[in-house]
Amino acid sequence: MSTDTKIPTVLMENTSKWYDQVIGLNDVSLAIDGGVTGILGPNGAGKSTLFKLLVGRLKPSQGSVRLFGIDPWKDTSPYRRIGYVSESERLYDWMTAQDFVSTLARLHGMTRDEANERTEHVLGFVGLHDVRHKEIGKYSKGMRQRVKIAHALVHDPDLIILDEPLHGCDPIARTSIMNVIRELGSQGKTVLVSSHILEEIERITEQIVILHNGRLLALGNLHAIRGLLDKHPHRIMLTTDEPRKLASAFIGEKPIYGVRFPDEGKLEIQTNNLSEAHSVLPRVIVESKIAVSSIDNPDDNLESLLGYLVGGDT
Amino acid sequence: MEVAYGSGDGDENASAKVSGQDASMGAIFEQKYRPWEGKLGPRWIRNYAIFRHHVYGIFTSKGHRQYHAFVRLSIVVIFLGALTPIAMLFLSSLFGGTEDELARMWGVNRYNLWGQVLGYFPRNLCFWPLLTAMVVGGMISDDRKNGTSAIYFSRPVTRTDYTIMKFVSVAVILGFVIIFSYVAYYTAAIVFRGEGWAYLVDTLPLFIAGLFCGILLVFTYTSIGLALSSISQSRFFSAIAFLSVIYGTKLVALLVDAQFDSSILYILSPYDCLAHIGQYLLGIELNYDHPLSLSIVSILLMNTISIGILTTRVSSLEVTRE
Repeated sequence: MSTDTKIPTVLMENTSKWYDQVIGLNDVSLAIDGGVTGILGPNGAGKSTLFKLLVGRLKPSQGSVRLFGIDPWKDTSPYRRIGYVSESERLYDWMTAQDFVSTLARLHGMTRDEANERTEHVLGFVGLHDVRHKEIGKYSKGMRQRVKIAHALVHDPDLIILDEPLHGCDPIARTSIMNVIRELGSQGKTVLVSSHILEEIERITEQIVILHNGRLLALGNLHAIRGLLDKHPHRIMLTTDEPRKLASAFIGEKPIYGVRFPDEGKLEIQTNNLSEAHSVLPRVIVESKIAVSSIDNPDDNLESLLGYLVGGDT
Repeated sequence: MEVAYGSGDGDENASAKVSGQDASMGAIFEQKYRPWEGKLGPRWIRNYAIFRHHVYGIFTSKGHRQYHAFVRLSIVVIFLGALTPIAMLFLSSLFGGTEDELARMWGVNRYNLWGQVLGYFPRNLCFWPLLTAMVVGGMISDDRKNGTSAIYFSRPVTRTDYTIMKFVSVAVILGFVIIFSYVAYYTAAIVFRGEGWAYLVDTLPLFIAGLFCGILLVFTYTSIGLALSSISQSRFFSAIAFLSVIYGTKLVALLVDAQFDSSILYILSPYDCLAHIGQYLLGIELNYDHPLSLSIVSILLMNTISIGILTTRVSSLEVTRE
C-alpha cells in the first residue's frame, strides 16, 4: 500500500518560543504549501520570530519546525530551496548590485558564468537592470529592498520568505515589489510575506495567517475566515434614494436580522449568513422595484477582520 | 509694458512652465520571472566562494571584501620588508664567497632560518602582529556589528564552514606574507649562489623545521586573532586586543625575567612559546630557562582556548537572544 502524503513546504507543530520571561510565539501549528501567504499582526505579534524559526536562526523552545520535511535548526540543506529577506539585513554597500547578487549566487554553489547570467535576470525581474552597476550604498530604500529580493531569488528557491519587504518603499517601489510577489506566487512558489499595511497584503493575496501576542489567531482565506466569525454580524451597505422603503422589503427575509441608516441615502443590512443574504439580495431588490446604485461589504476586509480577531474596533 | 501690478489681468498669454526639463514619467521593465534549470554546486564550491570573497578583497574590493586602503598598503610594506633579506642575499652573492662575512650574515643557516620567521626584530615586534591585527580586525566583528553574517547563514553555509573558511582566509593572507617570504628567501639563497643538490639535501631539514614554525605561528596568530574578533563588534578592539596579547605578555614576562631572573612567565607569551619551540626544532641554543614542554603545552592550550571561544561565539551569531 503506498502512502501518497505530500510533505508541506512549511510545517510547524505546537511550536513555542520564549525569550526568558517573554513569549515570542505560543503553541503555533500551521502548514503552508504553494502560493502567496500574508503574515499579519501588530508589532510584537511574533511575525519575525516565526520567520527566524523557519530559517533556523532560532531554536524552538517547544514543538517542531519543518521545511520540506527537514528541521532547519539541525540541517542547512533546506536553505538551498529558501530565499529569505530579513527586515534588518545589511548589505555590502561598497558593492554594485551586480557584484553583490552574483557573490551571493556563488555562495549557493553557482559557477561565475551561471551567477552572472542569473544575477542579470533577477535584477531585471525586480527592475534594477539599468542600475545594476551602481554601488548599493547609493541606492534608495526601495531599490535596496529590491536588491534584497533579487539576492533571495537568485538561486530560484521554492520557498521565499519576505519580512516586511514593503517597509519604507515609495508607492512605485511598492507596486513593483507587489507585482514581483504576485508573479512568484502565480508560478507555484511558496511565498510568505509579512507587512503592517493591510491593504497591501490584500492586494497581494487572500491567503493569510494572523498572529497576535505570539498566538495564531487565524489561518486561511480572508473571506472564509470572516465567514467563520458569526458573533460579529456581516454588513451589506446599499446606496439608494429610498433606503427606508427598501429596508421594509428586506426586514422579512430570513437571513436578515437588522437594518440601519448610517447616512443619507444609505441602507445597512445586518446578517449572520453573508452568502445567504447575497442570494436573496437580487430578488428583493428586483421585487421592490427600487433603484440601487451600489452594493458593498464594508467589513469583509482585512482591517475589519484583524480588528474583530484581536478584539479591537473596526 | 506690463508690470507686476499692471492693469492687465494676466490672461492674455495663458501658459506656464513648471520645470525646465521634461520629466520622466516612469519606466516599464519586463517583470517576468524565469525559473533556473541549473544545478547548484557542492559544498566546496560554496566554501571557495567565501574564501575568494575574503582573500581576493586584498587585491580588489570589486565583488569582494573591502579592506581599507591603509590595510592594503601596510600589507604591501610588510611583505616588501619581509623580502629585504633576499636583496641582501643577492648583494652577498655578488660580492662574497660562500664562507665570507656577508654569506654568514645573510645566507641560509640555522639562525637565519629561525630569524626569518621568529626573529623578534623587526618581524615579531613590527611585522607579523601588525599584519595579523589589520587583517583579522574586522573579519568576524564586522559581521557581528552589521548583521552581515545573516548573508551566510540564510544560505546553505554551516557555521562550521563559515568559521573554517574565515580561518583559512586569514591564514592564507598571513601565510602569503610570512611563509611565502620564508620560502622565497630559501629559494633565492639557492638560486643566487648556484647551489647544488648536496646543499639542498643538507639544508632541507632545517628549512622544513622553519616552515613548520612558520605554519605554527600563522595558525596560532590566526586563532587568537579570530577569537578576539569573534567576541567584539569593533575591528579596532580586535586589532588592539591582539597587539595587547602579543606585546603585553611579552613585556610582562621580560620584566619578570629581568627582575627575578626567571623565564617561566614567557609561557604566557604566544611569541616566546613559538620562539622556544622554533629554537629547539632548528637546533639552536635555547635562551629560555623553563622546560620546552611547558611552551608546547602552552601553545596547545592557547590554540585550544582560542578555537573554543571562536566556535562558541560563531554558534551564537545571528541567533537572537538564544
